[in-house]
Amino acid sequence: MQFTFDEEQLLAAQALRDVLTDHCTGADLRRAAEAKDLADFETVCATRRRSLRELALETALLSESAGGLGLAPIDAVLLAEEAGRAALPEPLIETMALAVPLLSELTDQDARAMGVLDAVSSGDEIRVCWPGANLVHDITGAIHVLGGATDQDIAVKRATDLRSEPVVSVDPLRRLARADWESADSVAALRGARVSELWHQARLRARVFDAAQLIGLADRMTALAVAYSLERKQFGKAIGANQAVKHQLANVQIKIEFARPVVYAAAAALPSRLNGLDMDERPYSAKWLETRVHHALVAACDAADLAARTAIQVHGAMGYSWELDLQFYAKRSWVLAGLHGGRSQSFAAVHRSLVHDGLALGPDRSFG
Amino acid sequence: MTIKLRYSPKQQALRAEIRQWLEQHVPQSALPSYDTAEGFEAHREWERTLHSGRWSMVTWPEQYGGRGLDLIEWLIFEEEYYRADAPGRVNQNGVFLFGPTLMEYGTAEQKARFLPRLASGEDIWAQVWSEPQAGSDLAALRTTAVRDGDHYVINGHKIWSTRAVFADWGFGLFRTDPTSERHRGLSYIVFPLNTPGVRVRGIPQLDGGAGFAEIFFENARVPIENLVGAEGQGWSIAMATAGFERGLMLRSPARFQRTAQRLVDLLRSAGSRGDPSLESLVSQAWMDAEAYSLSTYMTASRLIAGGSIGAEASLNKVFWSELDLTMHRTAIQLLGAEAELRARLGASDTPALREATRWMDGFLFSLAGPIYAGANEIQRNIIAERVLGMPKA
Repeated sequence: MQFTFDEEQLLAAQALRDVLTDHCTGADLRRAAEAKDLADFETVCATRRRSLRELALETALLSESAGGLGLAPIDAVLLAEEAGRAALPEPLIETMALAVPLLSELTDQDARAMGVLDAVSSGDEIRVCWPGANLVHDITGAIHVLGGATDQDIAVKRATDLRSEPVVSVDPLRRLARADWESADSVAALRGARVSELWHQARLRARVFDAAQLIGLADRMTALAVAYSLERKQFGKAIGANQAVKHQLANVQIKIEFARPVVYAAAAALPSRLNGLDMDERPYSAKWLETRVHHALVAACDAADLAARTAIQVHGAMGYSWELDLQFYAKRSWVLAGLHGGRSQSFAAVHRSLVHDGLALGPDRSFG
Repeated sequence: MTIKLRYSPKQQALRAEIRQWLEQHVPQSALPSYDTAEGFEAHREWERTLHSGRWSMVTWPEQYGGRGLDLIEWLIFEEEYYRADAPGRVNQNGVFLFGPTLMEYGTAEQKARFLPRLASGEDIWAQVWSEPQAGSDLAALRTTAVRDGDHYVINGHKIWSTRAVFADWGFGLFRTDPTSERHRGLSYIVFPLNTPGVRVRGIPQLDGGAGFAEIFFENARVPIENLVGAEGQGWSIAMATAGFERGLMLRSPARFQRTAQRLVDLLRSAGSRGDPSLESLVSQAWMDAEAYSLSTYMTASRLIAGGSIGAEASLNKVFWSELDLTMHRTAIQLLGAEAELRARLGASDTPALREATRWMDGFLFSLAGPIYAGANEIQRNIIAERVLGMPKA
């Protein structure tokens, strides 16, 4: 039993944080959000994208023999937290945690997927189009899109083959398009009973990595609010000296610190491969794992929600202005809280496990 | 080594050993409340039983009757303890607050004198800190201990001293330099509660029990060898105790996981009376109890790896105290009109009535949680100032 990150995990997160501290500042986000057109957007993001690619995190979850870094989800969870902390516009975490592992599962069945995976390894961008959602972030920046019409199929298609319609997100850094998944032929595809399980596992993983981003976002928003509370003076003193302000931010910190371990524990419980081959040797059931994942998302959503509300309030009228960079973090947190069934479906799933499915409970069951 | 959230074979064996011992020794029916004379002695007897199995002070070194378990092993012990619904620890303040303080600051003689008797339940300890004018602002305390030859002469008035009515010893904070102010000139002194000049008067609690007391000192003479640490060092020693108290050991997560489990069981068996808001509260409570456990495992791992616990202890204290209150309030609502009925501790009590009484007693006690061990308003100040770096008022 050991619940502390090791040096290597912390260093990897620090490396990403360093890049993002340099190239994903509030000012960088604002330039991207206010870009005139696609070309302008890509210009303002170019330096960051180059620096990120040097870290080769896209394929980090692949085994070393497959050209990856051999990271398990728990090794990568802090990377997602850093991406959240910076409100990173690029879908790096989606590529790393979802697209590439799904693609890798495809290569077992469809040799054509190997070519796509190689292309992604050498820098081609790939996006995910979730069955039923049809929304793709930054499709114009991608060569391939991995998706499915339903949970019964997974396919890879060329981004330019897909008919898509731009749609606007409340998050000014999300460049969304609604894709017509049936409008293009597949480059590689997989069908069969295993496919719905792959999507199911991918959704669990997406929830954990979204939760980790939400923790990073909550942390960032709290830091911004604390900094402002020290700087802003009213009645002759910093507003942060008032208990009414202090206690609100203390409440946010409590929410964050009791969401964080749940997210980490959920990441540690995820199987390394999406098809869950290594579940057999684990001391917990699939139901238990799902419940922990849903709990992680609920806790992270609640922490980020309170952080966003409180940070806006602490900033006073400034908090309601477009000019404040806080909006980028708050809006990203609201978007993430709705994906993959969102907070409400996760809460309902936990409730079902407890009350209707009779999940075994007790003080001796913290880890399954 | 990376995060590994599985118990080792050694930890699993320890769990099995604890489980078996508790199955053989935990009393079949609940003991009377330790806030009665009879219940207090019954709980003292239970401490003796625990000690006979060397389970009373599992984290203490073997030389003092412990097992030298690390914090993860302590968590496992606590999980089994609450899983077995074993009796409350009447010597809790001794076990978790005074004992660790003495091990850190006491002399070899003091350790030999106090720790074995504490471990066996021969001496039950009470914390003697607050005063009528010194609650949240503890540094305002005025009770003096003035040196007179080889004794301190204590005069003043302490209050809200838990267990003091029936306990044997007190550990207190006194002003040994009468000219001093605030946190300077304070000393940590222990004394028998039957010392001449010490008068203990019970204060009935919200639940009617004699849980705490006020203590009057009139020229009470305490030998100087009862000073813990150096004279004038009392504040920093007391704050170390407060760290243990708020931080980790006073309220293990298992306690709340057990309550959450009972709450889910109550919902499963009794239903929500058609109130969907209660359903949500139950699920949220279970999640929060799990979160507290996971957080504590993280803290324990960090401490084992050589880290320390500081102001973040205040996060724990706010979290568990509010969780405990919410869980009990929710149970009271699930019980509806049944919640007001009290068991008479006789043969005619039905199991349902006993369970309802347990919830109501727990509810009343949970109201104290956000107040004791440093009121939650103070904890939030500490979080804001020392975790987030916000300015003092």
